[in-house]
Amino acid sequence: MTWNPYLGDLADWRTRAVFVRNTRVYLRNWRTAFLPPAIEPIVSFLAFGLGLGAYVGSVQYKGSAVGYASYMAPGLLAQTVFATPFFEALYSSYVRMFYQKTWDGLLATQVELRHIVWGEITWASARGVLNATVVACVLGGLNLLGVVHLQWHWLPLLPLVGFVAGWSFAAFALIFTAIVPSIDHMNYPVFLVGVPLGLISNTYFPLPVHNPVLAALVQCNPIYHLSESFRSLLLRGEPDMHLVWLLLTSSVFLLVCATLAQRLVRKRVLGE
Amino acid sequence: MAHSDLLVARGLCKSYEGRRVVDGLDLHCEAGTVLGLLGPNGAGKTTTLRMLYGFIEPEAGEILYDGKPFAAHRSECKRMIGVCAQEDTLDHDFSVERNLRVYATYFQPRIADIDKRVKHLLDLFGLTPHAHQSPEQLSGGFKRRLMIARSLVHEPRILFLDEPTTGLDPAARVEVWQLVSTLRAQGLAIILTTHYMDEAERLSDECLILSRGKAVAQGAPRALLGTILGEHVAVVPAAQIEAEALERWARAELGAAPARVLEDWQVPLTAAQLVAFSAQFPNARFTVRDPTLEDLFLQLSAGDETAALRPT
Repeated sequence: MTWNPYLGDLADWRTRAVFVRNTRVYLRNWRTAFLPPAIEPIVSFLAFGLGLGAYVGSVQYKGSAVGYASYMAPGLLAQTVFATPFFEALYSSYVRMFYQKTWDGLLATQVELRHIVWGEITWASARGVLNATVVACVLGGLNLLGVVHLQWHWLPLLPLVGFVAGWSFAAFALIFTAIVPSIDHMNYPVFLVGVPLGLISNTYFPLPVHNPVLAALVQCNPIYHLSESFRSLLLRGEPDMHLVWLLLTSSVFLLVCATLAQRLVRKRVLGE
Repeated sequence: MAHSDLLVARGLCKSYEGRRVVDGLDLHCEAGTVLGLLGPNGAGKTTTLRMLYGFIEPEAGEILYDGKPFAAHRSECKRMIGVCAQEDTLDHDFSVERNLRVYATYFQPRIADIDKRVKHLLDLFGLTPHAHQSPEQLSGGFKRRLMIARSLVHEPRILFLDEPTTGLDPAARVEVWQLVSTLRAQGLAIILTTHYMDEAERLSDECLILSRGKAVAQGAPRALLGTILGEHVAVVPAAQIEAEALERWARAELGAAPARVLEDWQVPLTAAQLVAFSAQFPNARFTVRDPTLEDLFLQLSAGDETAALRPT
């Protein structure tokens, strides 16, 4: 048990059991689960990277001109690392909690609610790694074709870096899973929280920040550090301070969000 | 506490939004017996069950499994119990067989030979022909069988059955009864909640009747009926008797108003009260039958349970 009472459960066999259960379901449906992460970045890349990129030309990145398609590629990866755990913990966890009664079945065993929460968070993050790996493969292919110019040898490492960040995004989403009255209300966290956070993160375009309040907000946003650290590795071939900031903001985000999610889920499921 | 009591609960209390739902409840269950937990809607049955299997925490009181305090040995105690909830909580992402295998991974220490255990349960519950189907493809009766089989996969010593036959047709109900009877014979302690009084009467060695969160009676079904209701129930067609006169007499002599079921009054009576009743209403034509738990249930549901328990 650590100073955070919930973190002690992270390595528990029951958390692993929940994680393995979700993995088994994923592997059973892998053909359909595999398609969206493979197709979506290609479509986004064709539409924005090549389509819009033809008009944009190049953008300035750390004093150098970079083709828009290459600038956007790390953002695409960062967006996957953010969006996959966020939506998995938002929609899929809600379905398992409310419609499928999977959690109720688990609670009748030695598994406790805190293990379910950690299992869901870890699974959602792992799902982000899986999807990010597919996107990394697509980007590797585009690099081979000469469509983008990336330091490709960093690509295999990035989904794993994203795992830490994915944890915090999943914990963040689980807060909303615990409080939304119905699945229709998921639009609120998606469009009022998820989309704006994605917008102020430099994923698809460099954000000119002159307002000090907005600048501070951007600095606290783990997605911003995620896309910038990926960009530094893939375009310049070297890590920068954004990687440190990513680990720092993600850890704080995870600790706060996981603690809050545990309490809110407990209130919703057990009425306590 | 008897030596063979596998489950003992003392002074259980739980409130929701300031309302006491379970109030100082005591109960116990021995190996190889069935304890029927009965009571009208809102009596506190499900809350009691949920406290017993650890879904919610009691505000006060203690629960012991095989002499071990649940609060201090939670995981160890949960390893001893199997839960078959009222709602379908089957994992529809897996086949029937896979449901059993995956569920077994939620318990430690693990079952030594899971292949053998799963095969045994599939055979025992008649699920072998459906082993590779999705639970969605099963009928209501087979889904219920799978729910019970799943709750037994880790070889528990105590089984909670929350309304196991609700929604089943009569044939499927009888099959579940047969299974419960087999499990009891194998030495399991079973805690059963049901709304079907015939089911409780057939299956329970002992019944605990709850009303407004409190135990109002406990004992073997037949003994309970004799103690609380008396030996007879007079079934009086409503047209035979003036309602006001009957109610007045029943309240004065029995301490409670009789239950009205469709066009009949059902009046629980002792032998002496039956004589008094005949004398009071000499022109009324009525039939007399043995009391059932259903009569007791109706009596309690009438809301005057304390009066109903007054010695007659």
